[in-house]
Amino acid sequence: MAEAILTLSGVSQTFPNGTQALATTNLSIAAGSFVSLVGPSGCGKSTLLRIASGLLPPSTGQVDRAFSAAPGDVGFVFQDATLMPWATVIANVRLPLEIAHTPAPDAQAKAMAALERVGLADVASSYPRELSGGMRMRASIARAIVTNPRMLLMDEPFAALDEFTRFKLNDDLLQLWQANRWTVLFVTHSVREAVFLSERIVVMSPRPGRIANDLTVQLPPTRDANLRLSHAFADESARVTNVLDQAMEHTP
Amino acid sequence: MKKLGHFLLPYVFGLVILAAWEGGVRMGDIPEYILPGPVAVLIALRTNFGELLVGLGVTLQVTVIALLLAAITGAGFAFLMAQSKLAERMLFPYAVILQVTPIVTVAPFIIIWVSNIFGVLLILAWMAAVFPIISNTLFGLKSVDINLRDMFRLYGATKTQTAMRLLIPSTLPHFLSGLRIAGGLSLIGAVVAEMVAGTSGEKSGLASRLLEASYRLELAKALACFALLGLTGLLIFTALDWLSRRLLRHWHESATDASQGGN
Ligand SMILES: Nc1ncnc2c1ncn2[C@@H]1O[C@H](COP(=O)(O)OP(=O)(O)OP(=O)(O)O)[C@@H](O)[C@H]1O
Ligand SMILES: [Mg+2]
Repeated sequence: MAEAILTLSGVSQTFPNGTQALATTNLSIAAGSFVSLVGPSGCGKSTLLRIASGLLPPSTGQVDRAFSAAPGDVGFVFQDATLMPWATVIANVRLPLEIAHTPAPDAQAKAMAALERVGLADVASSYPRELSGGMRMRASIARAIVTNPRMLLMDEPFAALDEFTRFKLNDDLLQLWQANRWTVLFVTHSVREAVFLSERIVVMSPRPGRIANDLTVQLPPTRDANLRLSHAFADESARVTNVLDQAMEHTP
Repeated sequence: MKKLGHFLLPYVFGLVILAAWEGGVRMGDIPEYILPGPVAVLIALRTNFGELLVGLGVTLQVTVIALLLAAITGAGFAFLMAQSKLAERMLFPYAVILQVTPIVTVAPFIIIWVSNIFGVLLILAWMAAVFPIISNTLFGLKSVDINLRDMFRLYGATKTQTAMRLLIPSTLPHFLSGLRIAGGLSLIGAVVAEMVAGTSGEKSGLASRLLEASYRLELAKALACFALLGLTGLLIFTALDWLSRRLLRHWHESATDASQGGN
């Protein structure tokens, strides 16, 4: 296995109001891997992601990253697109570069390249409200990858989309990941989505949030849209669903 | 055709009212010092046009400068309060007191403390206008999208970058809606201030001329002042509304085509 790019040791989170969102958790993510985080609502997935991103300092424990914590090394895709409505699509994508004082022509070129990668080059100068939900999500992904991050954190990025769009974006994301080998930590409610995309699935259970199971997805590493129709995929989805159900049952 | 009728409706309504007024005044033989008809008002407007225009200039000057000051200080005040819960807790009650105090009751003190009459008018009009700007801007600053805030933090944005690229644009619609309310209040403030401060002579504004004319029972002229003030209020609102739409046209629901159906 490749070296760990992110390690959480003894991390827990208790919010000021007393909610224990995360019990003591250890998690290590291998560089270049695609890991999904699944679990019922409120089990601390978003909390774990925010801790991994450095946005939320954990109550206890330690977060180690195998790269400089320089801004731009971590890309974050929020559950809703979280674009600035007053800025054009390309201006939104340029933002991380502009914050880092990248020279303007350079930032423009990189932002355009990122938009091309998610297939949005032709709406670069539109405003977010002129895009569909799926296009906004892709713009948000373009913004997350524009800095060429070492690690990409995605919090249920496709939850609000219809199944067709979701499949399409899953395929696109898979391709991008296979081409670039970022480390991806991906939160989702959908077992099928997790199985389709990831090499490894971390199952969480609630009250307090903790890791209930850690599975390696037994599917070939190189995948495409056809995988969704295969028996192997159906079987693997069933297996993971089972494990998830067990995690739920053991909930006190 | 139907659209044209829709557009003309308020004007037709106004004309009918004016015609009824004129007719009533003529048929009832009501003397001009009790109630002049609209024609007499128009004539008064024409004969005193130069004088009234100077008056309007003075009032407008007070209104606009007070509004600008209210915009700058109000936004600054709100920004200060948004910095910390403590600052808000400390300052906001005073903003409310500023709002609920009728400016007529503070005018006598201001007149004693400030010798410059223009300064007095400015302070009073500012007092009338500043609160909606403070309160709307503060609301805007507090409702900035939490995820966008996180995103700026993630990329290590400085305080200045966050202010310029996130806080200001995100708060702009709220600020502008405060400004639109403040525009009318500033004019009202300027008019009330003139009336209580009792300005007179060459440099006096439209409100003072209105009072003067009514003391002399020149009701037609007083009503002409009144009409001009009303028009000015409408003009200020239209201008601010235009500014707001112009600044927000690309992105804010309030300024997009969908919300402009009526026009
Ligand atoms: N800022 C906060 N203050 C207090 N409690 C919080 C805060 N953020 C989250 N929580 C609580 O922590 C727990 C975990 O929240 P979290 O958002 O991590 O769940 P989640 O697994 O992402 O859920 P979902 O799938 O619905 O998004 C919840 O009980 C939530 O109420
Ligand atoms: Mg969540």
